[in-house]
Amino acid sequence: MQLGFLVDLHLCMGCKGCEIACKVENEVPLSTWRLRVKYVDVGTFPETKRTFTPLRCNHCENAPCERICPVSALHYLENGIVNIDKERCIGCAGCVMACPYGAIYIDPQTQTADKCTYCAHRVASSMMPACVVACPVQANIFGDLEDPTSNISKYIQVHQGGVQVRKPEKGTNPHHYYVGGGNVTLNPLASHRVDGHSLFNNITTLPVGGHH
Amino acid sequence: MAAHEILAATNAVVTLDVALPGIVWPWLVTVNMWAKSIGTGVIFMLFMLLRMHPESAKNLRLTTALVAFVFINIFLLFTLADLHQPFRMWHIFVYPHWSSAIAVGSFMASMFLGLLTLLSFLAFKKNDVLFDKVLLWTTVLAIPVTLYTASLMAQSTARELWQMPAESAQMILAALLAGSAAMILLGGNKLSNEARNTLGVVLGLSALMAFIIYMSEYIFGPMKAEEIAATIAYIKGDGPYAVMFWIGQWMTFILPMLFIVLSRVSKSDAILKLAAILALVGLAIVKHVWLMIPQLLPMS
Repeated sequence: MQLGFLVDLHLCMGCKGCEIACKVENEVPLSTWRLRVKYVDVGTFPETKRTFTPLRCNHCENAPCERICPVSALHYLENGIVNIDKERCIGCAGCVMACPYGAIYIDPQTQTADKCTYCAHRVASSMMPACVVACPVQANIFGDLEDPTSNISKYIQVHQGGVQVRKPEKGTNPHHYYVGGGNVTLNPLASHRVDGHSLFNNITTLPVGGHH
Repeated sequence: MAAHEILAATNAVVTLDVALPGIVWPWLVTVNMWAKSIGTGVIFMLFMLLRMHPESAKNLRLTTALVAFVFINIFLLFTLADLHQPFRMWHIFVYPHWSSAIAVGSFMASMFLGLLTLLSFLAFKKNDVLFDKVLLWTTVLAIPVTLYTASLMAQSTARELWQMPAESAQMILAALLAGSAAMILLGGNKLSNEARNTLGVVLGLSALMAFIIYMSEYIFGPMKAEEIAATIAYIKGDGPYAVMFWIGQWMTFILPMLFIVLSRVSKSDAILKLAAILALVGLAIVKHVWLMIPQLLPMS
């Protein structure tokens, strides 16, 4: 079994339901996120468009975080999930430095690394990840990539050339796919990130792990 | 803010997102690398001097072993201080993950510290024969201890700027530079003119080679990858680290090279020592800038 994720960006409407569901399910502390939805506005008024991109751990086949972790706190599960053992983590932040997707954070409460685990605890009980359940438009598709009859495999078969991953040049082989993505949505360097002028806040950076 | 390859036609702007994490590896890691360069570098230099200028170096065994011992302890202390869970450091020795440069480096650095402790003891007991035998193995081990941080940086897949083998070369050159500079200051009047000249040559050549590599990355790096271009932008023009980068380059490489030539022409020990001090202080600045700039780049 090789679990994977696919997000159809054509369907996502940026409601952030997945983000909230993840926060609640995994008790993710304030100032940190396992899953977030980034808004990027494209165009010049009046010809403008808003894009939404859910961003989470890519559960890479060749995960740099797993490789760099000195104590195997980050490890593969048999179903392909890159899981984390917070009790073993020493908080060296090597994984934070290694992850090309910025998907790992230092939990300010436990001072250990943490990230999306595809809700491994729910999957172990044959439930879907919280974000999948919360999505009102079924933009999140989750399943076994090795099973050709799974929803995710069928989706990939139907969309073929339209399926993308983030930063393929890194050689990480992500198990997280996007349909309907483009340079603007998947490449963080393809959009302006104006300091202090986001819609709802003017905080641009946060101290890693709180007050370290 | 780095904004590379943004098409004017798309005018793409992030309008709602979370605050990104700040610096992950702070100045503590800079001190870590700086102290390790000195700790391993003086061992390289002692090994070299004992073969090239034994009469001049024979009285430096204890001092060098103690300096290396102190700086490797500083390196380990700051490594520990940078951990978010420092009391779990022992996990590395109980659950080592051998694909990680951190795990491998921890074992090697611990062995290196053990050998330095032994060297200090042997030097104190004036057992020069055994000291020199242990020094050989300590010098051999100093090479991977110096290099493992480069491996760690190379394993940081997210930070495109840190490439192998450039980082390996920079780590070794930093150790040679710091080691020779520290020995020039440590040796004082115990060193003959020939020994000082040799150290000056090592300092000057390592400064030259390191400077060439930094300039190569500065000029040609942006031509190879989008992320490197965006990272190098932080040390170009009015980038936030541009001034610090050039202060570091001048202090660590350019001025010491000029002062070494000047000291040889004028046979001035004081100018050589000034070059050594500048190189040692500047190295911390250079390392800090190179550590910080890739961390400013948004990853997602």
